[in-house]
Amino acid sequence: MSEKELLKGNIAIAASALNSGCECYFGYPITPQTEIGEYLSYEMQKRNLAYVCAESEIAAINMALGAASTGAKVMTSSSSCAVSLMQEAISYACCDELPIVIVNVMRAGPGQGYIYPSQGDYNQSTKGGGNGDYQVIVLSPSSVQECVDLTSRAFYLAQKYRNPVILLADGMLGQMAEPAIIDCNKYEEIDNSSWRLDGAKNRPAREIHSLEPSQLKLNQHILNLKKKYDLIENSEVDYEEYMTDDADIIITAFGTMGRCAKEVVNHYRMQGVKMGLFRPITLYPFPLIRLRELSYRVKTFIDIEMNLGQMLKDVQLAILSNASVAFVGKPVGDWLKKEEMIEAIDNIIKEQYAGIR
Amino acid sequence: MVKNFIISGSGGQGILSIGSILANIFMLSGKFVSYCPCYGAEMRGGAVNCEINMSDCELYSLQNSKVDFVVALNQTSFNKFISKVKKNGTIIVNSSMAKIEKTRDDIKYIFAPLTQEALKLGNIKVANSIALGILSKILGNLPLDAVKNAYKKILKDKTELITKNLEAYMLGLNYIQEGII
Repeated sequence: MSEKELLKGNIAIAASALNSGCECYFGYPITPQTEIGEYLSYEMQKRNLAYVCAESEIAAINMALGAASTGAKVMTSSSSCAVSLMQEAISYACCDELPIVIVNVMRAGPGQGYIYPSQGDYNQSTKGGGNGDYQVIVLSPSSVQECVDLTSRAFYLAQKYRNPVILLADGMLGQMAEPAIIDCNKYEEIDNSSWRLDGAKNRPAREIHSLEPSQLKLNQHILNLKKKYDLIENSEVDYEEYMTDDADIIITAFGTMGRCAKEVVNHYRMQGVKMGLFRPITLYPFPLIRLRELSYRVKTFIDIEMNLGQMLKDVQLAILSNASVAFVGKPVGDWLKKEEMIEAIDNIIKEQYAGIR
Repeated sequence: MVKNFIISGSGGQGILSIGSILANIFMLSGKFVSYCPCYGAEMRGGAVNCEINMSDCELYSLQNSKVDFVVALNQTSFNKFISKVKKNGTIIVNSSMAKIEKTRDDIKYIFAPLTQEALKLGNIKVANSIALGILSKILGNLPLDAVKNAYKKILKDKTELITKNLEAYMLGLNYIQEGII
């Protein structure tokens, strides 16, 4: 596929995974991401790669851990309530330093919720639902083309840092279609021969496990992990800025909401309001430093999310100036419409102008 | 210039297929396009619709409060989406499966017995393509090459079905006389 095709987000993720060298997929069907497994079930068979429809999400992610420990490129995909089931294994994968790609196409929660789209798993993905000091790299696509590009990057970063990477898409993006191109994978291959478990022929045996009775060793391991996370925070931050150069008001939004909010920026620009958009592409590492820089010359931040204010907390943490932070959001379902966002923002601007706040 | 469309009906009427074909036509004519399907857990008989946005420049919005065009292939979707048509927008209604009734005077109505016409062509499934033909006429004739290629992309090697659908499309294209709307 080297020409533009009208692709569903889910198919784009699946096709890009193959293009990025995914060798094993383990998953269990759940709306709104089932097309990923469906597509891979026949495409991987054709290519003689490992596709397993597991008996549960817990089984799927643990299979992924096992396969990753042999050095294979692995992926699993699921949606919100079922990604919750994977949290234990994600914590293990971080401690074991296993490169796995986890796709979460978010649906409505909490609990089982329903199949409507949502952005309610920001906290779970970036702060973790498992135990211990760990971090997962979280990438947030806002278009079908970014589903393609960030899936490739997810495989690369997972291998590069020996760490799980979550591609945090949402039901809206998974189901919608847009023209996109799947080009050749631009990322270099990472050599994993120094750690993978591929049989101890002509070398001493290796082991990968998170159990560590020695306090000293465990402390040292966690401190080493922290060093890795610091490196990731220093090198892998990515974000998009849209008309922020002279902006007095900046909208912060991620994923699909990040692209919808551009329409709102265009609306206010037409009216002469100096508005811009800041869209984190890596949710972890969060682009805190850049946001902090911007906050010294921006009067107001308006955070827009399809949840009740999860990234909002990170935005507030980033801002040390007197800039105010407002929030516009909705928990689940039909995406906030342009008109709804504009109505809410008009009110915020009016209040601030009147000095009420 | 952004134009948006809702295509609606019940599962089995080819709503998502024709929506996807329309989106492909726009893509093949060099436009920016987005396509968002919406359906329940049921396959056949349940309510289904999709929203398509087309633009000359990059598209950001995906779902709109109001749209320029609605195609409604049954009564339920006619009732549901009539309020979503923008002022001066157009609704194309399958009058074989919906009552001819004009409740708004600020929009244009096109009633056509799509199911009956499709049956006359020998395949009830191509009612959606007749609707696409009508829509194409209103939009000032979509490029025929793109239309043919879009059908090929979606229906792949089902050549007979492609021919039948194109026949239905042409019927729709000639269904309304120029100047009526």
